[in-house]
Amino acid sequence: MKILIVEDERKTGEYLCMGLREAGYAVELLNNGVDGLHQAMEGDHDLVVLDVMLPGMDGWQVLKRLRAQGREMPVLFLTAKDHVDDRVKGLELGADDYLVKPFSFSELLARVRTILRRGRSGIEPTTLQVADLELDLLRRRVTRAGKRIDLTAKEFGLLELLMRRKGEVLPRSLIASQVWDVNFDSDTNVIEVAMRRLRVKVDDGFECRLLQTVRGMGYVLEVPEHS
Amino acid sequence: MIQRLTLTARLTFLYTLVSAAVLLGLGVLVAWSTHLHFIDLDRDHLLDKVHLIQEMVDETPERAELASKLGEALNSHQGLFISLTRGGELLFGTGGITFPAELDGRSASDQPLDWAAGKRQLRGMSTELSEAQIPGGATGPGPNLRLALALDTQHHTHFMQMLRQQLVVYVVLATLLSGLLGWWAARSGLNPLRTMKEHALKVTAHKLDQRMPVDAVPVEMAELANSLNTMLERLQQDFEKLMEFSSDIAHELRTPISNLLTQTQVSLSRHRDPETYRDILASNAEELQRLARMVSDMLFLAKTDHGIQLPNREEVALEDEARSLLDFYDAVAEDKELRLRVVGAGTVVGDRLMIRRAISNLLSNALRHAHPRTEIVLTVESQEDSSSLCITNTGNPINAIDLPRLFDRFFRVDKARTHPSSDGAGLGLAITKAIMLAHGGGASVTSMSGETRFCLQFPSSQKQRVSRVTSNQAQTITSKE
Repeated sequence: MKILIVEDERKTGEYLCMGLREAGYAVELLNNGVDGLHQAMEGDHDLVVLDVMLPGMDGWQVLKRLRAQGREMPVLFLTAKDHVDDRVKGLELGADDYLVKPFSFSELLARVRTILRRGRSGIEPTTLQVADLELDLLRRRVTRAGKRIDLTAKEFGLLELLMRRKGEVLPRSLIASQVWDVNFDSDTNVIEVAMRRLRVKVDDGFECRLLQTVRGMGYVLEVPEHS
Repeated sequence: MIQRLTLTARLTFLYTLVSAAVLLGLGVLVAWSTHLHFIDLDRDHLLDKVHLIQEMVDETPERAELASKLGEALNSHQGLFISLTRGGELLFGTGGITFPAELDGRSASDQPLDWAAGKRQLRGMSTELSEAQIPGGATGPGPNLRLALALDTQHHTHFMQMLRQQLVVYVVLATLLSGLLGWWAARSGLNPLRTMKEHALKVTAHKLDQRMPVDAVPVEMAELANSLNTMLERLQQDFEKLMEFSSDIAHELRTPISNLLTQTQVSLSRHRDPETYRDILASNAEELQRLARMVSDMLFLAKTDHGIQLPNREEVALEDEARSLLDFYDAVAEDKELRLRVVGAGTVVGDRLMIRRAISNLLSNALRHAHPRTEIVLTVESQEDSSSLCITNTGNPINAIDLPRLFDRFFRVDKARTHPSSDGAGLGLAITKAIMLAHGGGASVTSMSGETRFCLQFPSSQKQRVSRVTSNQAQTITSKE
C-alpha cells in the first residue's frame, strides 16, 4: 500500500513517514502543494495525507485539482484549524477524513487503516478468532478455549472492535467513538475501567493475555510475542 | 467641501444664513410698507385739495374771482401744483411744471400717477369737477372743468433712501451678530460632545473602566452615552476574559511543560536500558496527550466565548442522550458501586454532539465526586417555556463560596490536589457552561446536606429559534436565576 504525505512541517512529516513505514506502508513525503499535486497525479498512491496549510498551493486546491482530473484516491486532511466550516468544506470537496492537529499518531494510524480497509472487505466473516478466543457475530457469543464468556452488549462491541482490528493499537478516543458513539474528548478513565473489566472476563485464568495496554498509545488485542 | 467643516462651523453657517434671510425679508417688508403708506398719504392729501377746490368752484361762479381765490388759498402750499382747465383753456395754474398727457381722462378714484419732471419727483391725479348751474350764468353747457394736481415727493424719496440705507446697515450688522450668537450657541450646545470626546480619549486597553457621563449630557445624547458605556462594558469584560485566558494558558501549560523537559533531560543525561526509555516515552506521551487535550478544550472555550453559532440544530431527546451516556459510564459506576438512573423526559433543539458533551462532563464530574454505594439521578424536566436536566449525586458538601466559581475555567475546589490524567484540566464544567450559553440556556449548581445538584437549563425551542443568543446576553439570563 502506497501513501503520499504532503506536509510542510519538517518534523511532523518525518515522524509521520517513519511511523507509517513501520506500520508496513510504502510512504512518500513532499513538503509543498505544487509537488504534492504533481506526484499525486503521476503516482499510484492508495491514500494521500494532505496538510491544509501548504506553501505554493493549499490543501483545498490540491484536492480540488485532483478530483477535477478524475483522481479518486482517498484523501485524509490534517489541519490546525478546528472550524466546522473547514470540516464541511473538506468533506464537500471530497476528502475522506479529517484530523485536527495536534492529533495522536495512533489515532492517525487507526484512521488510515480504516480508510484503506474500506471497499476491500469481501464477505463479512461471521466469526472472529484470535488464538483460542472466538467471537460468534450471529449468535453474539464469546468463547475462550471452548468456555463460554458472558459479556454485556457494550463489552461485546468493544471486544468485536479489538478482534476485527487485531494487532492494531487503538487509541482511547477511537474506542470511545466506535463503541459508545462518544465523539468528543471525554473522561479517558472510562475506557480504562471498561478495558480492565473486559480483561478480567477474557484473560483471567488464562496463561496467554490477549488484551494489552500500550502505554501512551492505547490498547491492542494480539497474541503476545514472548509467551 | 461642506462635509469637511466642523459641526460648529456648519451650524454657525446655517444659523447665519437663516437669520440673514429672515432679516432681509423683514427689511424689504418695512421698506415696501413705508412706500405704500406714503402713496396713501399723498392720495389723501390730493383728494383733500380736490374737495377744497370743488367747494370753491361751487361757491364762486365768477371765474376770474375763482382764480384769485384759488391763488390765495393755495399759494402758501409748497410743492403743490395745480392746473384748472376747461376745454384746454387754462383757468388757473400754479405753473412750474407741465402735467403729462396720461393724466387726461382719469378720475379721483384712480391710483395717483408718479412721474419725473426735471429734478422733481411728482405724484399727481386729475379729475373733472362738476359745475353748478348758475342762474343767469353766461355760457350754459360746455366743456367740463378739469383739475390736475401734483405733489412734489422729493422729501419722501429722501426718506426712503435713508430708510433703505439704514435697513441695509441694520440687516448686515444683525446678521453678523446672529452669526456670532449662532457660533456661541453651537459651541456651547456641542459642549457635551467635547466632554464625551475627552472621556473617550482616556480609554485605553488598560483603562477600560472609563465611562461616559450619562447624567452630565443632554437627554438626546444620554442614549448615545449609554450605548457607548454598554460597548465599553462588553469590551472590558471581553478584554478581561482574554487576559485571564492568556494568563491561564501560560500558568497551566508551564508546569507540565517544565516537567516534561526536566524528565526528558534527566533521562538523556546518562545511558539507560530500553525498558526505562520506553517508560519515559510512554509517560511523556500521556502527559503530551493531556496537554493537547487541554489546548483543544481551551480553543473550544475561546470560540464559544464569542457567542458561536451552533453547528447543527436538531431535536434532541435529553433522556435518550442521558441513557446512552449512562451506557458509557456504566463500567466506572459499577466499579464504584454507584447506581445510575434517568427520570423523566424532555426534548430540546440544539447540537446533539455538544449537548452530549455537556451532559457527559457533568456525569463524569458526578461519578468522580460521588460517595461509593450511592445513587446518581438524572432528572429531565420539561415545562412550557424551558426544559432542564439535573444530575444529583451524594458527596462531600461544597463550600457555598466555591459554588458559583465551579464553572470557571481551571477552578479546582482542592487547589493542592494533584490531579490524575483522567481528571482533565479543570475545563469540563467551563465547557458545559459555554455549551449551555451557546444554546441560550444556562448551567447552575446547588449543594445541600451532602447532595450536589448540577442543572442544565434549556430555553423552549421556539424562543431559541427566534433569538440567536450571544454569550453576553445569555450571561444576563443566568445571572437572573
